Amino acid sequence: MSQLFPMKQVLGFVFSILLTIIALAVYFLDMSFAVGMTILLVTAFIQAGLQLVVFMHAGETKDKGAIYTNVFYGLIIALVTVFGTLLAMVWDM
Amino acid sequence: MKIDNSLPLEYSTEENSLKILGFWIFLGAEIMLFATLFATYFTLENRTGSGPTGAEIFQITPVLFETILLLTSSFTVGLGIHAMRIGKQKAMISFFSITLLLGLAFLGVEIFEFVTYVHEGAGIQTSAFTSALLTTLGTHGAHVTLGFFWGLFIILQIKKRGLTPQTTNKAFIFSLYWHFLDVVWIFIFSFIYLKGMM
Repeated sequence: MSQLFPMKQVLGFVFSILLTIIALAVYFLDMSFAVGMTILLVTAFIQAGLQLVVFMHAGETKDKGAIYTNVFYGLIIALVTVFGTLLAMVWDM
Repeated sequence: MKIDNSLPLEYSTEENSLKILGFWIFLGAEIMLFATLFATYFTLENRTGSGPTGAEIFQITPVLFETILLLTSSFTVGLGIHAMRIGKQKAMISFFSITLLLGLAFLGVEIFEFVTYVHEGAGIQTSAFTSALLTTLGTHGAHVTLGFFWGLFIILQIKKRGLTPQTTNKAFIFSLYWHFLDVVWIFIFSFIYLKGMM
C-alpha cells in the first residue's frame, strides 16, 4: 500500500495545501493591497512550479531542455501579455 | 517499433517521447490563451456598470471547496501515474476514477456558483466585469469538462487493452493536462477570487 503513495508526491501535496492556506491569509487577515498581492504572487508561482516539477515530471527525460524552454517561452509571452496590458490599459503609463 | 526498457512505458518509444513533447508545446499555447483571458479580466474588473462588483458576488466557501477538490484531484492523478509506472493497473484505475469524481464535484460546485451569480444579477451580459469573469471561469470549466470525458475514455481503454506503450502514453498526457488545469485554477483562485475579496 505504502508504495502507492511515494513520499515526494505526498510532500508535494501537503506543501500545495500549505501554500493555499498561506494565500488565504490575504482574505482572513487585514493587510495592505501591496502586501496581499506580494503574498499571492509568491504563493501562486511557487505552487505552479511545484506542479510542474513534482507532478508533471518536467525534468525527467532527455527532452527536459526542450520542455523547460517551451514552458518558459509560454510564460514569458504570458507575462508580457498580462503586464503589457496592465501598463497600457490600467496603470495608464 | 524500438522499445527502450530503461524508460517508463509511456516514454518507451521515440513516437511516445515526441507525443509528450508535443503536448508540452500545446500546454505552452494554453498558458498564452489563459494569459490573454487574465489580461482582459484585469483590464475590465472595475468596469462593473450598474452590475455587482467582485467583492459583492464572490463567496469564500464554494471557492475553497473548488480549490481543495482540484488540488486533491491533481494529487490523485499523480498517484495514478505512479501506480501505472510500477505496473499496478487496478490501483491506477482507482486513482484515475477518484480524480474524475473530484473533477465532477468541482464542476458541480462551479455550476452552482454560476447559477448563484445569475440569480444575483451577474449574468454574462450584465457588465464588462461579469463578461470577462464568466468567460475566464467558463473557459477553465470547459477544459475541466473536456478533461472529464477524456479521462473516462482513457480508463475504458486501459481496462480493455491493459498497460501498453500506447495506453500509458495517453494516460500520461492526460495527467499533464489535468495538472495544467490545476495550475490555471491556482491563478484564478489567487488573482480573481482572493484579489477580488481582499
